Amino acid sequence: MAVKAFSNEWAKAFKDEVNKSSTYKAAGKGWKWTVGLVVEAEPDSHFPEAKGIVMDLFDGEARDIKVGPASDAQKCDFVITAPYTRWKEVATSQLDATKGMLQGKLKLKGDLPTIVRYTKASQEMTLCTTRIPVEWPDEE
Amino acid sequence: MHDADSGRMARRRVKLDVDSRAEVVYADDEPSAFASMLGGLIEANVRSHPEKERDFESLKARVGIWVTDIDEGVTLDFKGGKLVVHNGLKPRRTLTIRTDADTVMSLSNLKIGLFGLPVYYDEVGRGVAFKLLQGKLRIEGLLPNVLTLNTVTRIFSVQ
Repeated sequence: MAVKAFSNEWAKAFKDEVNKSSTYKAAGKGWKWTVGLVVEAEPDSHFPEAKGIVMDLFDGEARDIKVGPASDAQKCDFVITAPYTRWKEVATSQLDATKGMLQGKLKLKGDLPTIVRYTKASQEMTLCTTRIPVEWPDEE
Repeated sequence: MHDADSGRMARRRVKLDVDSRAEVVYADDEPSAFASMLGGLIEANVRSHPEKERDFESLKARVGIWVTDIDEGVTLDFKGGKLVVHNGLKPRRTLTIRTDADTVMSLSNLKIGLFGLPVYYDEVGRGVAFKLLQGKLRIEGLLPNVLTLNTVTRIFSVQ
């Protein structure tokens, strides 16, 4: 069943997908930092308020994934920021997250060598988002 | 012809640790996301690894990196303790690496083994070697500059 984009249900489904992934479990070994995703508002796309997704990831496991205010996500060790439409492109496999970061479509804050070292883990996390059936507010 | 020494540069200067003499500067008023990322990656690597800083201090070469699937590139002008990062490919390059975004990430994940040589026999290394054999990773100027490529790889590697 589809869940509303960037809702608590979506966060739970995302966490379940991550924890089901043996690829992520292996690639995320040794990771011990929090990751925040900031989804910037796009009122024209029926996404009126920015949201923050706070991911507590540890050693190949998603311990918690929560949706809250953008300010919570901005406090994480690594912060990736993009407008709603860009995140939708990532979650629907229209934009590769690695390319998006190199092109500046997704803005990354945090220690670069660390995030580059975990490229495979971050690619798998992106794949996990694409496996969640989502109701997008601009398609309602 | 573009001349890195006479052109505009150093709009944004990033001084590294107080103990480090190394510096990274950007030639363009608005460095591209890719330029900022590579410059930032090298800066962080050099700052945290004395052996990489030694390589950085000794390296003099102009290295182009063109990412084929996003049609963007940079020129890294290493000047022995100073790096000037240019948006796009500039003339008089020692080496030019042309490949896709994933392989750029793999190159920065190459492990460094004995004698400071990149490791091509583990999973990441084999992937890079395979891309080279398939022609999906092209390195212009490789033969006369193998040592330079190894030095750049060491500076670039996060492993």
